[in-house]
Formats: sequence, C-alpha cells, structure tokens
Amino acid sequence: MNNFIRRRPFSAFFLVLLLALLGWIWQERVALWAFPDIISAYTAKEYCSCRYVINNDAEYCHSYVKQWLPTSGFIDDTVGKRVTVNGMGRSNSAAWISDRQGCQLNPSL
Amino acid sequence: MSKGLSLCLMFMFSLAAHAENWPDEQWQSSPTASGPALQALEAYAFPSRDDVTRKGIRTDALLVIRDGQLIYERYAAPTTAETPHLTWSISKSLMATVFGVAYGEGLFRLQDPALKFYPALKKHPDLTLADLLHWASGLDWQEDYEYAPLKSSVVAMLYTRGHADMAAFTVNHDAYAKPGQAFRYSSGDSNLLSAALKNIVGPARYPDYPWTALFKPLGIRHAVWETDASGTFVASSYAYLTARDLARVGLLMARDGRWGDRQLLPKDWVAFNREPFSHAQANQDEAVPGGQWWLNRAVDGAPTPWPDAPADTFAALGHWGQAMYVIPSENLVIVRYGDDRDGSYQHNELLKLALKAFVAKVLP
Repeated sequence: MNNFIRRRPFSAFFLVLLLALLGWIWQERVALWAFPDIISAYTAKEYCSCRYVINNDAEYCHSYVKQWLPTSGFIDDTVGKRVTVNGMGRSNSAAWISDRQGCQLNPSL
Repeated sequence: MSKGLSLCLMFMFSLAAHAENWPDEQWQSSPTASGPALQALEAYAFPSRDDVTRKGIRTDALLVIRDGQLIYERYAAPTTAETPHLTWSISKSLMATVFGVAYGEGLFRLQDPALKFYPALKKHPDLTLADLLHWASGLDWQEDYEYAPLKSSVVAMLYTRGHADMAAFTVNHDAYAKPGQAFRYSSGDSNLLSAALKNIVGPARYPDYPWTALFKPLGIRHAVWETDASGTFVASSYAYLTARDLARVGLLMARDGRWGDRQLLPKDWVAFNREPFSHAQANQDEAVPGGQWWLNRAVDGAPTPWPDAPADTFAALGHWGQAMYVIPSENLVIVRYGDDRDGSYQHNELLKLALKAFVAKVLP
C-alpha cells in the first residue's frame, strides 16, 4: 500500500477522491435521484397556478417561472388546464383541480 | 349602579361601536395621503421595473388600511385589486388564524401532543402543537429555496420527494434538538399543523374549514388554498388572496381577533401569536418568531428587527417579498405583495416610509 502511494502518488490521490465521491453519491442517493425533477416540477406547478389560479396571461407566466435551468417540451392544455414540462431528462405535469384547491403537481387523476 | 348611569354607559359603548369602521362588501375608502412623504414611499416601493434582469424592488401591490378604512392602494401590472396573489409563507400565519378559530371551538389545547392529531408522529411523542406553532419541532429541516437545491427540504417537499404528502415527508426527518427547545424556521412544521388540523376539526369539516371558519366570516369571497395529493392544505406556501382580502385578516389581528361584534379568535390565541418564542435568539431570522407570526420585538437585549416601526408591529411574511404588517398602536394594516428576486427589499425601510406617509405625528 505504502509502495503504491510512493510509486503512484497521483493515482492514489485520485483513487481516494473517487472513493470519497462514490461514498457521497451513496449517502445522497435519494436526494440526487430526485434532483433532476425539480426544474420541470417547479415550472409545471407554478405556471399552472400563475395561469389558472392567479389568471395572469401566458406570456407573463412564462417569464414568471423562468429559471436558469432550461426546460423543453412545454405543453399547456388550456382546455384541461394541465401543464406538462420536461427538463433534465424528467417530465412533470400539474393540473387545475377546482376553484378552491387551485393546481396540484402530478395529481392522481 | 343606577339605571341612568347604565343606560348612559350603554349609549357610550354603542357610540364606540358605531365609530369603528369595518369593511362590508368592499372597504370604505377615505381620502389618501399626498405630498413628499407619499412620493418617497412610492419611489421606494415602485421604482421602474426591470422584467429582464428581475433585479431590484418589484412591488405588485401596496395597500394601507387605517382605522378600518382603505386609505391607499396601488398595483403594478399584471396585478390588480382583483388578483388573488400567491402569498407564499403568509399562508403559515393564515393557517395559524384558522387554528385560532378551532381553538375557540375548544377542539385542542396548545400543550396537546401533535401526535394526538397526527399519529405518524409516533417517534416524537413530546412534540406539542405549541412547538409546531413556534417552528420549534426540533426536526432537522433545511429551509432554503434557491441556494441549496440538493439539500433543501422545502424544495424536495414542494416539488419532488415530498409533494404528494408533505406532512409525511416532514415526519421522515431526524431530530436535531428536543421539541420546544430551539427555533428553526421550517415549512415542514407548518404542514404538520395542517395535517393535524384534519383530525382536530374532523376529516368531514376539514376541506371547507378555512372558508367556514375564517374566510366567510370575514367576507372574503375569493380565496384559493392548494392541497397536496393527500388533501392536506399546503399551509406552508400555497394560499392565494387579493391584497384587499388579506388586509381583512390583518384587521382581525389588529383588533385582537374580533370581527365586528364577534370574537372570532379568542384573545389569548392572538396573545399567543404575538408572544415571542421563549427560546428565540436575536438575528435568527428576518424578525422574532411568535406563534406562526413574526414580531418586531427585542430579545436578548438586541434592538428590535425593524427599529423604525413601533415595537407592537407584527407581520406575516413570505418568499419573494410578500408581507402583511399589522401595527395595532397605529390602527394600521399594510399589505405588500411583490416579485422580488433579490434581497434589495427591506421591511424596515418600507415601514419607515409608510409610517411617515400615513401617520400624522402629534406635535408636542
């Protein structure tokens, strides 16, 4: 082991770094797995509420929900009041439920 | 007491009752302030708005109630007097007010274990409703929106792992302190309250309870309160009201829970809301935590959080600049909605300028 560190100091250093990284990934696996959902879920939910609860116009709502991460495949079904957004390889949708309950993320309808 | 005297007293009380203004369908308006003090307030609250960089102060609505009358309101497009604006964390104070009505019905006591009404808390048997109201559950919660998205409990609760059942998500956090010992602002604590309310008032009344208990008695016609997929109101974040309607809740609080001749919230409930949490320390947050309301009170010998406002000022505060300030000593309620994406908006500055514009100083 000591020999390995002496002969290959850089490899040893990166090996330790890699192990630490893997350890961190394992520890944070739940949060890391959920992380890519944030942008599409946030955009779908807050756009739905901006548009169908607060009743602002579409242009304003697009700019209201804009974040630094890109989204794609934005679908606003204005009849069903359901908004679907893709981002970071995930897709989420939000739908308007009722006058009092407003919008909900991924409702089980 | 002689008959004459009691009649005289009754007459004086009825005069006092008549002298008090309350909104009916609409707020009564009285002439607004003008002059340089108002200009200074407007220059601060409504600078030219930058919708590209979204920098600086971006006020959507500013509304002032004095002595129960609407004395000032201004909106920035697209927000209008009819817009049910997102209140974000003002919702927490609204949920506390809904709780106050249930408290008045005698449905719970502050020292009741939260477990009694939310059985999923079985690992935290000592956690009381008062602890949750103080944001002092002791649960290891991370309240950060934009800056720590991976570790943020609130982002995970609203948008990813927690969104279907936010209270259940909160319960899965470990404890970092004993309940009731330390303040840590937590949207999770507020949603545990919301889940507990389901059993406090019963599942049959729960879906209508904010409306029957609070909104209807106050004449609030158009309120929205979004729920998670389990049907629990998102008490942390998702109530929507017009500025005029939110001010009705402010007037209720300014008048110690009384609406007209009805004591809607028990006085001791409002006193609890306005009492600093006993373990609160200075500078832990924007202001001093009370019972799901924010207080301009001095703790630990530190100055009050908003030195230019009276010490009895208390507030409901939300993300991106939402605020409702209540100043009972000046009979003032101020609602400020915004879309601030940076930290340039300062509560103390707004309060200072509003007090200059609307409160005539009595000359010595």
